Amino acid sequence: MIRALRRHGHALADALRRMGAQPVASLLSILVLGVAIALPVAAAVMLKSVAATTASFDTEPHVNVYLTLDAADADAKRVGDALRATPDVAAVRFIPRAEALAELKSTTHLAELLGSLDKNPLPDAFTVRMRTTDGARIGAVRAAWGALPKVDQVVADFEWSERLARWARFGERVVIGIGILLGGAVAFIVAHLIRLQVLTQRQEIEVSQLIGATAGDVRRPFLYHGALQGLLAGAAAWGFAAAFAFWLAAELAALTPNYAAELKVVFLTPAERIGLVGGAALLGLLGAWSAVSRELRRFSTDR
Amino acid sequence: MIRFSAVAKRYPGGLEALRGVSLEVGDGEMVAITGHSGAGKSTLLRLAAGIERATAGTVVVQGQNLGALGESALAVLRRRIGFVFQDHKLLHDRSAFENVALPLRIAGFARDEAARRVRAALDKVGLLAREKAMPVALSGGEQQRLCIARAIVNRPMMLVADEPTGNLDAEYARAIISLFVSFHQVGTTVLLATHDETSLARLDCRRVALAAGLLAAPQPA
Repeated sequence: MIRALRRHGHALADALRRMGAQPVASLLSILVLGVAIALPVAAAVMLKSVAATTASFDTEPHVNVYLTLDAADADAKRVGDALRATPDVAAVRFIPRAEALAELKSTTHLAELLGSLDKNPLPDAFTVRMRTTDGARIGAVRAAWGALPKVDQVVADFEWSERLARWARFGERVVIGIGILLGGAVAFIVAHLIRLQVLTQRQEIEVSQLIGATAGDVRRPFLYHGALQGLLAGAAAWGFAAAFAFWLAAELAALTPNYAAELKVVFLTPAERIGLVGGAALLGLLGAWSAVSRELRRFSTDR
Repeated sequence: MIRFSAVAKRYPGGLEALRGVSLEVGDGEMVAITGHSGAGKSTLLRLAAGIERATAGTVVVQGQNLGALGESALAVLRRRIGFVFQDHKLLHDRSAFENVALPLRIAGFARDEAARRVRAALDKVGLLAREKAMPVALSGGEQQRLCIARAIVNRPMMLVADEPTGNLDAEYARAIISLFVSFHQVGTTVLLATHDETSLARLDCRRVALAAGLLAAPQPA
């Protein structure tokens, strides 16, 4: 038991010694791996941030009904009653044109421009909250309302949110795809680096096997080497992604005051950080395993 | 200790190095395998040390049938056998000390215990003063002794040496042979192969002659 632990200690020391023997080469390969891992991580951070921002938007289906400019209060009341009588309608809010103008003046910098107009350009409007998200049913309601007298336009506001959700799913797939490709690249790069190491240690491996090293004994330091490279690369990727997020956050903070929704960068949770570094170490381990196993098979047929 | 029963070894490519050898070596015995180059001496030693496997017949070492052992078990058995290679098999990028420490690293010894044993082994072969030297800085005789130190550092029950006096002048050869005799005297089983009759001349031990992969008639000691 103690001897087995000690063999692991020796293997770890061996791996560190091999990395220390070529510090520049080790550092460069860790940076290359780190950049490869950082790319999908940075993309994931961006996607998370976008998702967090859109979650703060009201994505319940809304239908806005705009009346013509010449509609009288009686027309508005009649349309409102018709809207309330429709099935699937959860709530109806009437926004008189004067109120809409006042709100526009207070929330934008257009007050001066709006003040220069001699009459209110905005129509009376209704905001209708729907109970259903079914596109076909909302489409039917929309057509029926569009045919009501004094109704100018019916805008189903849910379409953009559906489109947004679809874009988010698309972005997620892009990130997953890039992540798989670059994760594979990490394993292959580590496998290649370890294979070169194995070839330079060829003589040592042969002698060790002759005097009693098992395949596991030979493999162990290389596995530590690969896992260590992956681990450090994962930590480097974390650093790169954090720097990127910090850089983005500064720019976003400057953008925020102009919009109602809060824009902010959402970085990785602690569990995701552990997953990132652990996953990178695992990829390194896998790469090393495949490289050493291949070379070991070659050695054993030599005998 | 070692029992060969009708052992044959055919290498890929068709070379038949051994063609049915039966041989027994007792515990603590010292046996010299003689014969010309290509007679099968090296193959016999490599089979006895679990470095190669027989293609026919059985090899039993320390009560274990080597043919029935898996790769890992065979490797673990090799740790209990000290092998002195004809071409030394030293690591040229490691110091003498590190070369001798290699078997102990593999076995998982603690650093202090390993260092103690390495120095004892180097002392035994007269290389204690050269522990920091790299193998290229050592003479042929010193390299051979370094290889012996590596073979004995794990205190093996059995020592196997392939042409340990090859390429050495007579004086060095005698010193090497007397080293093996001293290990034999403390109870280690010693199996050595040589075609060097002059260094064997004064050696009082059993001899086994090989010729073309077969045992020749027993020779008087």
